[in-house]
Amino acid sequence: MFQLRWIWRNLEGNKIKYSIGILISVVSSLIVLINPKIMQIITDNIIVGIKGTNGVVDRQVGMLMPLLIIMVSVTLGRALMRYLMIILFEQTSQTLIVKVKKRLFENLQNQDMHFYDSYRTGDLMTRLTGDLDMVRHTVAFIVYQITDSVTLFLAVLVYFTTVSIYMTLLIFALTPFIFAVTYIFSKKIRPLYVDLRERLSLLNTTAQEDISGNRVVKAFNREEFEIEKFTKKNDEYRKANLKASYMWLKFSPVIEMLAQSLTVITVLAGGIFIIRGELTFGDLMAFSALSWAISNPMRMLGIILNDLQRFFASSDKVIELYYSHPTIIDRFDATEFDGKAKGKISFEDVTFNYGHETILENINLEINPGETVGIMGATGSGKTTLINLIARFYDVKSGSVKLDDIDVRNIKLKSLRSNIGMATQEVFLFSDTVDSNIAFSSPDMPESKVQEYAKVADAHGFITRMKEGYDTIIGERGVGLSGGQKQRLALARALAVRPSVLILDDTTSAVDMETEKYIQQKLGELDFTCTKIIIAQRISSVKNADKIIILGNKKIIEQGTHDELIAMHGYYYNINLLQQQGYNALEEGELIGAQ
Amino acid sequence: MARNKYDVDETLETPFSLKHLKRSFIYINKHAKKMILALILSMVAVICSLIGPFLMKIAVDTAIPNKDIHQLISLSLILIASIIISVLLSSIRSVLVSQIGQDIIFEIRQDLFEKLQKLPFSYYDSRPHGKILVRVIQYVNSVSDLLSNGIINFILQLFSLVFIMVFMFIVDVKLSFVIIAGLPLFIIIMFIIKPAQRKAWQNVSSKSSNLNAYLHESISGVRVTQIFAREDINKGIYVNLSEAFRSAWMRAVYVSNLVWFSVDNISQIVYATIYLVGVYWSVAAISFGTILAMGSYAQRFWQPINDLSNLYNNFINTIAYLERIFETIDEPVDIEDVKCAIPLQQIQGNVEFRNVEFEYEPGVRVLNDTSFKVTAGESIALVGPTGAGKSTIVNLISRFYNLTEGNVLIDGKDISQVTLCSLREQMGIMLQDSFIFSGTLIDNIRYGRLNATDEEVIQAAKIVHADEFIKEMQHGYSEEVNERGSRLSQGQKQLIAFARTLLADPKILILDEATSSIDTQTEQLLQKGLNELLKGRTSFIIAHRLSTIRHCDRIMYIDQGRITEVGSHDELLAKRGAYYNLYMAQLVS
Repeated sequence: MFQLRWIWRNLEGNKIKYSIGILISVVSSLIVLINPKIMQIITDNIIVGIKGTNGVVDRQVGMLMPLLIIMVSVTLGRALMRYLMIILFEQTSQTLIVKVKKRLFENLQNQDMHFYDSYRTGDLMTRLTGDLDMVRHTVAFIVYQITDSVTLFLAVLVYFTTVSIYMTLLIFALTPFIFAVTYIFSKKIRPLYVDLRERLSLLNTTAQEDISGNRVVKAFNREEFEIEKFTKKNDEYRKANLKASYMWLKFSPVIEMLAQSLTVITVLAGGIFIIRGELTFGDLMAFSALSWAISNPMRMLGIILNDLQRFFASSDKVIELYYSHPTIIDRFDATEFDGKAKGKISFEDVTFNYGHETILENINLEINPGETVGIMGATGSGKTTLINLIARFYDVKSGSVKLDDIDVRNIKLKSLRSNIGMATQEVFLFSDTVDSNIAFSSPDMPESKVQEYAKVADAHGFITRMKEGYDTIIGERGVGLSGGQKQRLALARALAVRPSVLILDDTTSAVDMETEKYIQQKLGELDFTCTKIIIAQRISSVKNADKIIILGNKKIIEQGTHDELIAMHGYYYNINLLQQQGYNALEEGELIGAQ
Repeated sequence: MARNKYDVDETLETPFSLKHLKRSFIYINKHAKKMILALILSMVAVICSLIGPFLMKIAVDTAIPNKDIHQLISLSLILIASIIISVLLSSIRSVLVSQIGQDIIFEIRQDLFEKLQKLPFSYYDSRPHGKILVRVIQYVNSVSDLLSNGIINFILQLFSLVFIMVFMFIVDVKLSFVIIAGLPLFIIIMFIIKPAQRKAWQNVSSKSSNLNAYLHESISGVRVTQIFAREDINKGIYVNLSEAFRSAWMRAVYVSNLVWFSVDNISQIVYATIYLVGVYWSVAAISFGTILAMGSYAQRFWQPINDLSNLYNNFINTIAYLERIFETIDEPVDIEDVKCAIPLQQIQGNVEFRNVEFEYEPGVRVLNDTSFKVTAGESIALVGPTGAGKSTIVNLISRFYNLTEGNVLIDGKDISQVTLCSLREQMGIMLQDSFIFSGTLIDNIRYGRLNATDEEVIQAAKIVHADEFIKEMQHGYSEEVNERGSRLSQGQKQLIAFARTLLADPKILILDEATSSIDTQTEQLLQKGLNELLKGRTSFIIAHRLSTIRHCDRIMYIDQGRITEVGSHDELLAKRGAYYNLYMAQLVS
């Protein structure tokens, strides 16, 4: 039931509005009972008439008009109330959903990489769509179904006691059965809905990955395989759906029969009571006329519990995300940079683990403001991890990473990251205009500025060659652009931050040499000082750096300028040789200490 | 087609027509037998439930006044029997209907997905992926109820409407007209509401699509967002999109709820009028019994109308989804097998471009009059400035796009005349993006050849030197990875993709910047192993690192959509042209 409490808490600010909605639901359910009463009066006093003592039937026709007007007004009034009630429920539930969505989205945006390692995109999507819609359905619909049913049931039950206690008790005797049946049902259906929800999430994931990976699918001619995979998930989803509805259909006839047995009770018990003189015909009619007001809530109970179990299965998933906390957050005493940082970076005895695996060990490194540092090393040697520590995507296990001599853990994340401009290895561009993609860090950047950064990244040329220039919409992930073009846009995007620290993670790997040279030259002429960290595989990308670092075996194995490293005759020397002479060097045995 | 983004509503190309409903009958017809059975069961169940009031009447009129307890009991037994029969029949009907409903959405979703597999890159490139996804998942879910339950109820309600009308007219023609008089008013109201309602629901579907698109991108691009500390701005955008959805939804709610509102009030007025007319103007002509009967008919007449208008409501908002679904299913496929396409036999790997011209968008030439011949087994490096058309050339070999002009031939056969499947089956393409599916590493590699044994997969991983790092992982080859996961570095992802391609054992191998993130030493080791494998295969390699390209048989220098230089490394160096400059740029300190 904590799910319901969670909802109540989130109705904050709308609690009164919501309560009014519930109140209207109660009142309007009671109003339903007025018109049958009026009809009874009309029938008795006007249509049939009252037989006077003198045997003359007195039909009070004059009463008809006012009664009919009351009847129509009651209907109109009730309809207005219900309309208002529905609007209230819809408004409050929408406000609640927008609020929850905002929080969920915020949580998603702030989660660290560990979180994204363990949740599939399709599952997260399901939480913010299907699951959340079930919450909405409950708040906007189920709740007033409950109050409607309960009100009607109780009101009619009370009314019945004034007519006949015995009959009422007989009817009331049905309720334990109904409760027992629905209780067992809701126990049994719960796991089925949990399963159903999971199937939907898997279906979502399969479709989502197929769409995102459509290029790979086509490249490997795997359409048939994808269809097969999807068919399986689609079928499992169907089966889970059917399983849940079969379970419902196993119980609903029992509930329905119990509800309908009211008629039997009315006829049989009522008849016997009349025969024994304990009940009048009029009383029986009253029972018969209002038996729907007892049986409908009984039926609804099943439907409501069914929906509620669905709600619980979904809301658990929503609530889990709602309360999920990223581990990387601002410390309460975190500081902020006054303006821009200078760009001094220091690693002091940094050790970093991913799970149980040590990725970096005892790294010591100092980079002065404005310096350019190149990082090289084997695949998986921890180059990207090293720079991720600067932007604090991970926290170190021991030691510390500092920006301007302040431990990054003591700097507000926003302040830290807005001093860093990073072009990641896997270029992710948003399906938006070129302009908006470059101006990602500050959307109101004037186009002239955008163009300036595009020029530094040598992207201006190909952008203007596109038909709509800077207004061209790029496909999701930048599909439709070549690798080199994407990388240059990512570079322009990073430059637009005017960062104190510019990190280029393999940013020019798909760019040709001449362009790279041009970019390097432009980067040297920036109108702001910034520390540049360049991860690369090509010697040409790092050769001119003030310092080159070689990572290997979790440590920095070589460090120095190009010439110093060449002179060292180590890893760097080998790479240099390999890149200039191709794999022949391997065979010709020129490498130092080659395996 | 203009590209779409998250904050642009998708316009619907087709105007509203009953076509969409008719179209859905294709799906419904498959289940016609079950559907009819369900309908019959429903009718019988309804008739059974009508026995109740009749038995009640007998009990009240005869059994009770006669104090006949035996008759009362037997009446009750009949009542119980009728209840049991009616409930059982309804239950069977419900089973049938839920089967039909689930089958229909299964089939629609399947058709939609299969269609998506046929759609070319350009379809995926021109809209946010979240907008495609929302159709496959949410939209299809939304239509199931209407196409199963909705249709059956629709027919049932129409029947009962006709049924009641007949009875009504038998009892009293004049009052029947009073009852029906409310109908034109209702129809007028519906006609006023309908366009607004349809528009409102279409708007809801657009807004939910936008919201979904943005959500999807935000999850996929979360790292970029964090790097640029843009969480707050993005949250603002998302909240705005949510608000837009909220107001679209509320508008739809305001309008849709007017339907039952009018039905309730009109029917009540009609009901009152019956009494008024009956009592005031026709005292002599109409009996009390008639007034009572007609009053109850008035209620019974408007009940189905109320239900029908609810169904109609449901129909209007569902059609907005159906339209989008059918729109996707009807999307023209540019790249498909020609009519009498023949499967391409086992190829040798000769590739020829004959006067190929190509443009992605009309008017913007990407390739100009490109012609070249590659003999089987040759390795070709494509170099040149970014955006020169290198990727385009290799994409055309696999026919990912149709040519604007000219022909591409493999072993002398025009690839536009062979089946796509047989063509791509023999290609191994490694793209710039190395997409990782959620699942184990071994399954990710096996994607290249689904029936490969574990040993074969590991063998491929060994050749590309991925085996080393995979073995170091906690679960080795069974390590679970996912699309956005950070467990693999970019270079490692490329090695996985490489192993995947290798496993496919293609005759023509295409490597598009496939090794850009792999360090030089690993690449060299990898290439040594590869050289053995490349024997007998034609390969096209796009790369910038000279160490990757210099040993290729021939190098093509592409510039602005033309091949400007062709030759071996040494030949091109001797030429002292563009390639020479490129080479020197990398060499010279």
